[in-house]
Amino acid sequence: MKILVPVKRVVDYNVRVRVKADGSGLDIANAKMSMNPFDEIAVEEAVRLKEAGVASEVIAVSAGITNCQDTLRTALALGADRAIFVDTGEMRGAELQPLAVAKLLQALCMKEQPQIVLCGKQAIDDDANQTGQMLAGLMNWPQATFASKVVVAADKSHATLTREVDGGTETLEVSLPAVVTADLRLNEPRYATLPNIMKAKKKPLEIVTPEALGVDIAARLTTLKVAEPGKRAAGVRVADVNELVARLKKDGVIA
Amino acid sequence: MFLSSEHQQVADMVRRFSDEVVRPEAERLDREEAFAGDIYQQMADNGLFGITVPEEYGGAGLDCLAYSIVMEELARGYSSVADQCGLVELFGTMLCKYGSAAQKTRWIGPLIRAELRGAYCITEAGAGSDVSGIKTTATRRGSGDDWVLNGSKLWIHNAPVADVAFVLARTDPAAGKRGMSIFIVDCHAAGVSRGPKEHKLGQRSSQVGELNFADVSVPADALLGLEGRGFHMMMSVLEKGRVGIGALAVGIIQAALDASIAQAKLRQQFGHAIAEFQAIQFMLADMAKDAQAARLLVRSAAMQMDAGVDAGMASSMAKCFASDAAVAQSSNAIQIFGGSGFIRGYEVERLYRDAKITQIYEGTNQIQRVIIARKLLQD
Repeated sequence: MKILVPVKRVVDYNVRVRVKADGSGLDIANAKMSMNPFDEIAVEEAVRLKEAGVASEVIAVSAGITNCQDTLRTALALGADRAIFVDTGEMRGAELQPLAVAKLLQALCMKEQPQIVLCGKQAIDDDANQTGQMLAGLMNWPQATFASKVVVAADKSHATLTREVDGGTETLEVSLPAVVTADLRLNEPRYATLPNIMKAKKKPLEIVTPEALGVDIAARLTTLKVAEPGKRAAGVRVADVNELVARLKKDGVIA
Repeated sequence: MFLSSEHQQVADMVRRFSDEVVRPEAERLDREEAFAGDIYQQMADNGLFGITVPEEYGGAGLDCLAYSIVMEELARGYSSVADQCGLVELFGTMLCKYGSAAQKTRWIGPLIRAELRGAYCITEAGAGSDVSGIKTTATRRGSGDDWVLNGSKLWIHNAPVADVAFVLARTDPAAGKRGMSIFIVDCHAAGVSRGPKEHKLGQRSSQVGELNFADVSVPADALLGLEGRGFHMMMSVLEKGRVGIGALAVGIIQAALDASIAQAKLRQQFGHAIAEFQAIQFMLADMAKDAQAARLLVRSAAMQMDAGVDAGMASSMAKCFASDAAVAQSSNAIQIFGGSGFIRGYEVERLYRDAKITQIYEGTNQIQRVIIARKLLQD
């Protein structure tokens, strides 16, 4: 059973991004880049499934500019067996949109025939939370988003998953193949050990192009303007719970 | 400095490990003077011992530049922990360079996996900078190949907890520096005793003390490398040691800078964050300059070693500059913190204490200057 794990190169979570003066986007020139943390959780889960003997191969995929290969090397150091880099040339960042990535992944799913596509629930840059769902739609596969537990049945015909939903968790079963998106509590990713960073250099990394996959990755969405969120107003001190409730009612926050 | 993708990956990994595992424990380890056994186990599990030791012996098989990056990032968390990494690196380097096949198999793996703790024994009461003054002796027992070891080693890192010691001893008292040899000694053998743990100014998690050898029986296969070459063998790994300590000092400067920036933005005086005052800004700028200059000296020396070029002067410059800067800039960090920086429990107070020893160990900065000057004047 193969598991395909898409990983995205994003601005590191420690970096404080700023909006460009002309409002056209974010200024991320020279910013430190890392693997999207939710994707790291997805890689970890896939590697654990392989270590448990459930999966036979873990394939990491990334699409974007050449530097995305660094992100793939990290996935390989964490335990992925091989990597596929979709070279989108100059197409980068916000121009490479969820639908285009989902279509690229669709093409790779046709080729690789994975039983599970395990991806992060969203990327911490645009927080779109769309690629996994779109891929499931394109493949006409079941999907289980925001997973906090994944158990694959012994015959690998289905998986039982716990999902984090508003108000708690729910458990459901999906038949395989399926798309699973990882939530924060699915696992705690390991460190890429130094020997494994070295070994990752020798693992195969295949480079393909959108053209070769027959996918049109042109942007469908237009960014009108990027703006800083408004400054938070100072808080108000209340004496007790009664005053708090009265105040919330008065401000129309609660009925 | 621009790093290759592989070195950047190493830096990212160790930075995260240091922030998540090492740094949160530093204050407690310092306060309790406690051995960081749990952290060392996690380091071993993640391949953070034996950075330059080839994979076939269980090391990471990386280069000296990677080693300097690991040391810096660990020291940013806590320099005592980095120093343990440096110590294991020296054992690994020494064994790889001079050890017999049997010695490599027996010692490298357990030391890298943190199953055994090692001690590196040069210094004695009468022999600090002047290594040629050591009095510890190893004499052949009768006409056999076994040895009897006698002597006392001082300020030895890991002495209170060591399982194995690399001991420099005189095997031919008449031959001076050419009459010294290194023995790999079982610290649990009869005749080995330990003095009490020293209570130090800084790097207080590092367990330091005396190791005494009284008629200790040492088998012939415990001799490392050639008889009589011990002094040169010990010295030959010190270049890497100096790169390591230089990198450790860079980690201290960087930690002092990070803490100072955060404090300068937070602390309000005269109705402004103190970061708005030039007096503070200039100190921050100088700290950043020193951190970067020291880092470049260290990495340049490391890259010279990786290229197989003599790095004697480069490693001495790096160690000397970085450690002097670490003391000066951790002192400035306290100045930025004001009174609170003088209080136990504040990171900068510990950094200042931790920095001092970097001017002393791995060859004092006076010795480093002698090495540099000798090189300048030799032609």
